[in-house]
Amino acid sequence: MSTLFTSFAFLQPWWLVALAALPILYWLLRVTPPAPRRTRFPAVQLLLALQPKEETPAQTPLWLLLLRLLIAALVILALAHPLANPGARLAGNGPLVLVVDDGWAAARNWPARQAAIADLLDRAEREERPVAILTTAPTITGEPPRMSRLMRASEAKALAAALAPKPWPVDRSAALAALRGVSFPAQASIAYLSDGIDDGHAFAFLEQLQHIGAVQLVADAPEVLPRLLLPPTNDAGSLVVTAVRAVPGEPAVATLRATADDGRLLAREELRWAAGEVNATARIVLPTELRNRITRLDIEGESSTSTVVLLDERWRRRPVGLVSGGSVEASQPLLADTYYLERALNPFSEVRSGNIQDLLKRELAVIVLADVGKLADADRDALDQWVRRGGVVVRFAGARMAEGADDFVPVPIRGGGGRAFGGAMTWAQPVALAPFEPGSPFAGLQVPDDVRVTRQVLAEPTLELSSHTWARLADGTPLVTAAKRDEGWLVLVHTTASPSWSTLAMSGLFVEMLQRLVDLSQGVAGQAPDAMLPPLTTLDGFGRLQSPPPAAIALSGAEFDRATPSPRTPPGYYGTETARRALNLTGTVRSLQVLADLPTGIERSAYRGAREVDFRPWLLSLGLILALADLLVSLALRGVWLRRAATGAIVVLALFGALPAGAQTPAAPPTGNAGTDDAAALFATLTTRFAYVRTGVSEIDDVSRLGLTGLGNVLSRRTAVDPGPPVEIDPEQDELGFYPLIYWPIVPQAPQPSAQAIGRVGEYLRNGGMILFDTREGEAGPNIRGAASARLREILRQINLAPLAPVPEDHVLTKAFYLISEFPGRWTGSPVWVELGDGRVNDGVSSVVIGAHDWAAAWAIDESGRPIFATVPGGEAQREMAIRFGVNLVMYALTGNYKADQVHVEAILERLQR
Amino acid sequence: MKDAVAAQQQAEELASRLPPLLVAAERVAATVAQGVHGRRRVGQGEAFWQFRQYEPGDSLQRVDWRQTGKRDRVFIRETEWEAAQTVWIWRDSSASMRYRSSRTLPEKQERADLLALGLMALLMRGGERVGMIGSGLPPGSGRAALSRFAQAMQNIKDETGLPSAMPLPRHADVVLVGDFLSPLSDVDRTVRAIAGHGVKGHIVQVLDPAEEDLPFSGRVRFEGLEADGVAVIPRVESVRTDYRSLVAAHVSGLRDIARAVGWSFMTHRTDRPAQAALLALFVAMSQTRGVSR
Repeated sequence: MSTLFTSFAFLQPWWLVALAALPILYWLLRVTPPAPRRTRFPAVQLLLALQPKEETPAQTPLWLLLLRLLIAALVILALAHPLANPGARLAGNGPLVLVVDDGWAAARNWPARQAAIADLLDRAEREERPVAILTTAPTITGEPPRMSRLMRASEAKALAAALAPKPWPVDRSAALAALRGVSFPAQASIAYLSDGIDDGHAFAFLEQLQHIGAVQLVADAPEVLPRLLLPPTNDAGSLVVTAVRAVPGEPAVATLRATADDGRLLAREELRWAAGEVNATARIVLPTELRNRITRLDIEGESSTSTVVLLDERWRRRPVGLVSGGSVEASQPLLADTYYLERALNPFSEVRSGNIQDLLKRELAVIVLADVGKLADADRDALDQWVRRGGVVVRFAGARMAEGADDFVPVPIRGGGGRAFGGAMTWAQPVALAPFEPGSPFAGLQVPDDVRVTRQVLAEPTLELSSHTWARLADGTPLVTAAKRDEGWLVLVHTTASPSWSTLAMSGLFVEMLQRLVDLSQGVAGQAPDAMLPPLTTLDGFGRLQSPPPAAIALSGAEFDRATPSPRTPPGYYGTETARRALNLTGTVRSLQVLADLPTGIERSAYRGAREVDFRPWLLSLGLILALADLLVSLALRGVWLRRAATGAIVVLALFGALPAGAQTPAAPPTGNAGTDDAAALFATLTTRFAYVRTGVSEIDDVSRLGLTGLGNVLSRRTAVDPGPPVEIDPEQDELGFYPLIYWPIVPQAPQPSAQAIGRVGEYLRNGGMILFDTREGEAGPNIRGAASARLREILRQINLAPLAPVPEDHVLTKAFYLISEFPGRWTGSPVWVELGDGRVNDGVSSVVIGAHDWAAAWAIDESGRPIFATVPGGEAQREMAIRFGVNLVMYALTGNYKADQVHVEAILERLQR
Repeated sequence: MKDAVAAQQQAEELASRLPPLLVAAERVAATVAQGVHGRRRVGQGEAFWQFRQYEPGDSLQRVDWRQTGKRDRVFIRETEWEAAQTVWIWRDSSASMRYRSSRTLPEKQERADLLALGLMALLMRGGERVGMIGSGLPPGSGRAALSRFAQAMQNIKDETGLPSAMPLPRHADVVLVGDFLSPLSDVDRTVRAIAGHGVKGHIVQVLDPAEEDLPFSGRVRFEGLEADGVAVIPRVESVRTDYRSLVAAHVSGLRDIARAVGWSFMTHRTDRPAQAALLALFVAMSQTRGVSR
């Protein structure tokens, strides 16, 4: 903030005299006693009995005094109207004329120009002077610059807000013409917001302006003058980009960006200007496929048309594949066709060599076959396909072709070795080339005088031969023939690519012809010169692509290279979506001339970043806020408290639902297909959970849930196990493997589990799970006749279990946590059955525990923690034993046979004897 | 209703923290048993009083055979006459009590109610009978009586600031809880009137710390709660010492009044815990019991 206030001024400074009255105000406030504070007091009689002595009354506290003085000072300062960064008064008495350069050079520092315009218009408003605006670039509709009429400052503000830089250069000569005949009754004050670039007419323009009034020129500092990014050149595999700045000075750095059509950044390079240098170069090196996708080059951070270059087909490098028929390359390179082809193609294309099948796998634009005689059938078919899809195949003739060619040629070839000139058996001299006809792709190329063709392959004379001919010898014989096949071209050059049959390969014409042939591959060079290219998307003043302005017209191909950007031909893309050409501003604007030559009497200044800041409203509002605060403080001091909001404003956060309430709703297992859902798995396994099987009878399910909840509470209190709320599962659907212990109350009303469910149960038990089967009848055993026992037998028959036996005396269940000898539940008296396997399977841990004591009912508690069911016949002592059995069972399920370890026997025996 | 219940619960909670009179009897006179005050004469009771010779007309059940066996005459065992004592409690409900100087302190009314109810709860637990002056309810002991008194406390609307005269039986205890900011002459007259019944009394003065210390400063306008005037003090700091001496004089005047009729007197500030006052009151009640029989 401090850099903003370069200067400070008061508009009405004589108000500051009132500051002298502040000490008097201070003395007054100090002398006056404050209003007494009111309070209720019961022992008033005692106070009334006091004899108050004559004393100086209490005074206003010092900080309150100072606050009031501060308010008074703020009001006085606000009345004096202070300003930061005040601008000078406008010269003269006449109107304000704003001349704005809004060509492409204004885009770089446009915000500063807008701020300067706003400042000037503010000042004009304050001094109540009319305003006229003149812009020096042609308008977007193509009209030349014209001065607006005189208007009030507020209207001018609206007009100025609509100004924007244009992507074409300013036209000062037309602006000069607009100034002729303009005069005002009083001397006008002219502010010329220029772009700092001289186009040759600036001196005359400024002189004309001086006739009208006093001119103040505002221009950018040399470092902030706009820069140019020139269109790049191809250089053997990389794009070389040059940037130009206006004034040589300190070393500077800018970042060059290359972006693709979809906006993706493909390359970033640094442009470095050395001290005293005006040009900077950068080189973009990218693989061809990426390089071909570059459509736009710009300088990072600068949004102006002069730093944007749009690329089209002309900068694309087309990969060319080279197939050689012979094998002389290694021993005699200078005699090989491929040498000359590579040298000719390298500058503008990427050359790849190989055989046909390999080359066809890559993306190529052109395939050149250098003296390949007969093509294999497979190759020929593949090439044919490729050509029909849009490729270009260029075949060069040679000795092998002369011996016998195949039919992959544009025109039928006369066999028999071709025609030779100037040999021992001929009478003719080597023939030169005829100039190219206008309809051929080589039209416009200059034929050198010293190209001679010594030998060539002849084509059969047919009726269409001349329409297929692109180049002829001087005597009319076709030299280059071509045929279009669907999308692509098949071209035959009737001589070799090496100097053995002609000197064409050593001439510059060779390179140009090859270049034209490569250009052919995308259909660009096939355009007739007079095809009209309508504008596709154009750049605005800030370098952004948008739809073309209304005045833009179509250009022909010939005019394209010479076109300068103007409202009729703005820079941008022309043509069609598939075949477009780019018109760049820097194609024609290639250097910058700084505006230096000024007529005398013109004062020059730079754009400031800072605007005038008016403090008056801020001071007044601050004073108002402080006055309000003072009011509140005085009220408080007098004891007239604003009643605070009642305690009803306390917000109760209902976060307690997060705690597992235990006896409330059971944790619902997320149903999924066999529990394969990740979220369901996490829910079930992030804490230890026990599960109970749904029977379908809601009372029994409730009891199971409450029982497992009660057991869980006991476990949390007494042991290290801290289980989560129990989960209700259905063995048909839910994944069993998440739960270490499953409680299964067997009731006859429940549906018989399907074979698939029993299979899953069996697998669960095999993999280490434990199920507590509870028939709830009071008697458990193989011979018990109850319906539940029968159902249990049904289920168990289909599962592979070790032999079941009543729990022996030294079983781990009797000593897993507590030392217990019986396992009562709600009932007691009948044995509990476990698997007695040998120690090898599952470490000897029984995977089922079967009983009939209805343990869930013994463990069940309600919301207040009281047991629900009575235990018979032992009462609460039996319930305690049932709970202990539950704890032992959980320990057994989670730790297995740990307690059976002989190490603990002594301690256990000792405890037993105590 | 809710205030009554809340007040009662609060009082019971307070009382539960202090030992009942039975346990405190270890510290006070050893002859005092729970709920039973010996009348030092023969009568119904449990405490042994004396052996005397059998006279014709005495019931044969009262013969103490062990003593008879030791001597050659027949002796009757006599017990001391025990009668439960009634404690009458009065608390100030005038407008000057509904004052507190800060939100963190309770109103003097609340503290006085708490002391009164706490005392009642303790006495009832000890088996005494308790009555409330000004409530119109008969004395009683037990939870039901406690809740009746708590209810009555909410309904009493006596603005005089001093207990009204009412007939009291002899050998009752009277406890007066209030701020006693009335003129000393009025207080004297009332106390003497009550003491004239021959009852033992205890005065508890409940004051707010602001009334004792006068912590205000600057120019303050004091407004009385009972429409007894307005005092504008231009600079309170200067009158503070004089005021404090006035308050001390008033308190000592009250103490003299109590001592003149043989009653105990204690002061309590609302920023001190209520238990301390209750405990001190107990000690005072236990001590005076032994003094003036």
